[in-house]
Amino acid sequence: MSKNVNSTQFRTVDVDAYDEDQYEDDARDDESGVQEVADRASQVKQLLNQTKSKDALKLALQNPPLGHKDSNVKQQNYETVLSVLKSFRAQEIDAAVEDLSNVEVDVLMKYLYKGFTANPDKSASLLLWHERAVKKGGLGSIIRVMVDRKGV
Amino acid sequence: VDAVLKEHLERVTGVDWAPNSNRIVTCAGDRNAYVWNFQPETGEWQPCLVLLRINRAATYVRWSPQEDRFAVGSGARLLSVCYFDPENNWWVSKHIKKPIRSTILCVDWHPSNYLLAVGSCDFKCRVFSAALKELSDKPETSAWMPRLSKFGTLLAEFSTTSGWVHGVKFSPSGNKLAWVSHDSSVNVVDMNSQDKILTLLTSFLPYTCVLWLSEASFAAAGHDNCPDLYNVSSDEVVYGARLDIKKEKTTDSNMSAMARFQKLDDLGATETGTKLYTTHVNCITEMRVVATTGDKIKKFSTAGKDGKLVIWEVDALCSKIAGLKI
Repeated sequence: MSKNVNSTQFRTVDVDAYDEDQYEDDARDDESGVQEVADRASQVKQLLNQTKSKDALKLALQNPPLGHKDSNVKQQNYETVLSVLKSFRAQEIDAAVEDLSNVEVDVLMKYLYKGFTANPDKSASLLLWHERAVKKGGLGSIIRVMVDRKGV
Repeated sequence: VDAVLKEHLERVTGVDWAPNSNRIVTCAGDRNAYVWNFQPETGEWQPCLVLLRINRAATYVRWSPQEDRFAVGSGARLLSVCYFDPENNWWVSKHIKKPIRSTILCVDWHPSNYLLAVGSCDFKCRVFSAALKELSDKPETSAWMPRLSKFGTLLAEFSTTSGWVHGVKFSPSGNKLAWVSHDSSVNVVDMNSQDKILTLLTSFLPYTCVLWLSEASFAAAGHDNCPDLYNVSSDEVVYGARLDIKKEKTTDSNMSAMARFQKLDDLGATETGTKLYTTHVNCITEMRVVATTGDKIKKFSTAGKDGKLVIWEVDALCSKIAGLKI
C-alpha cells in the first residue's frame, strides 16, 4: 500500500495561538502570595484561640490571592476565612459585618459564594452571613462577585 | 407619529439627531448606518447609506459636537469614524482598531470635536484622537493630547476593576471623563491627573448610562430603573441622591390578623416586595439632555426597556430632594 510520506508536522501547530480574535486577560499571575497566605492562616488561628473573632475576620479578609496560579494557595486562604466565619455565633454576625469596610465586604461576598458552590447543602450559616453582607454591601457587592474574572 | 424611517434590515441599535444640521444617523445590526436628511418640500427623510466596512453589528452612534462627522461603535471590535466626502457625494469611514479587543458599547465626543472616548467590553475606557486632515482639522495640544497625534492614536487607556464599560461621557468642559461599568462602579478621571482614577464601588445594580449635569456632578441610570446623582470633587466621587422619589404606599392595613399570619406561614413575610416604586419599571438604557439654559442643564430625559420616555426637570428635583447639590 502507499505510504504517507508528506509531513504531518502541521498537526503539532497550536492554531489558537495565532488566532488574533482570541481575548486574553491582562496577565497578573501572582506567585508571591504563598508565604503571606500561610502567615495569615497561623495568625488567624491564634486570634481565634484568643476569641478575638472580629479581629480574626478582618485579618482573614485582607489581600486575598486573586487569580493565583496555585489553587492550593487559594484553597488555604479559603479555609482560613471559612474557619473564622464558622466561629461566630448568629447574634455576633451583625456587629462583625458592620465593622467591615466596603472592600472587605466585597471580599467576604466572594468567599461566601465560593462556599456556596463548594458545599451547596451545608451552607445554612453562610446564608446568614450572606443576608447581613447584602444589607451592608447591597446588590453591587453581589454583582462584583459575578463580574470578577480572577476568582478568589 | 411624525415619520417612519424604514430602511434597516436588522434591529436598530443606535440613533442620534444632529440639532444644528438637522440630520439623523441610525445604525443597526445589519452592519450599516444611514444618514437621514430632511426634505422640506416633501416632508420626508431621505436616507443615505454609509458603508461602515464592518463585519459585525453596529452598537452605538454619535454625531460630533460640530456635526461634521460621527462615530459608530461595533461588535467588530473597531470604531468607524465617518465624514462626508463632497467630491464623491458619500460618507467615508475610517477605522480605529488597535488596541480595542472587544465589542464597543459606548462612545462620547470631546467638545473639541476631534477627541473620542470609547468604552468597550474588554473592561477598558480609552481616549483616541479623531483628528481628520481631510476635514482640515487644526487640533491643539491639551492635557488629553500632549503631542499632536494623527487619527486613531491611543491617547489614554483606563481600566475598570472588571466589568463592561456601559456608558462614557466627557464633562461639559471636556476636562473630566466619567464612565460606568458593569461591576456597579462609577469612575471619573481628570485630564490633568490621569493616573488618579476616582472610583466609587456602589451598592446598587450596574448603571448603563451617565450624563453630566454640571462640571461637578453627574447622573447615572441603569438596572435600578432610576437616575442617581453623584457629586465629583478633586479627590472623590460621592453619592448624592436617588433622583426618583415616588410616594411609597403604606402597607395594606386592611389585612386581617389571620390573613397576615397565613401569609407569614406561606411566604415567610407579611408583604410581598414585588411593587416597584420607581417611574421606570425596567432598565434605563439612555439619558439625553432636553433643555439647557446657558451651561446648566434644565431638563434631561431617560428612556428604558419598559418603553417609557421620562423627562426630568432639574429645578423641580432640587426643590423636592433636600440638600441636592448640582
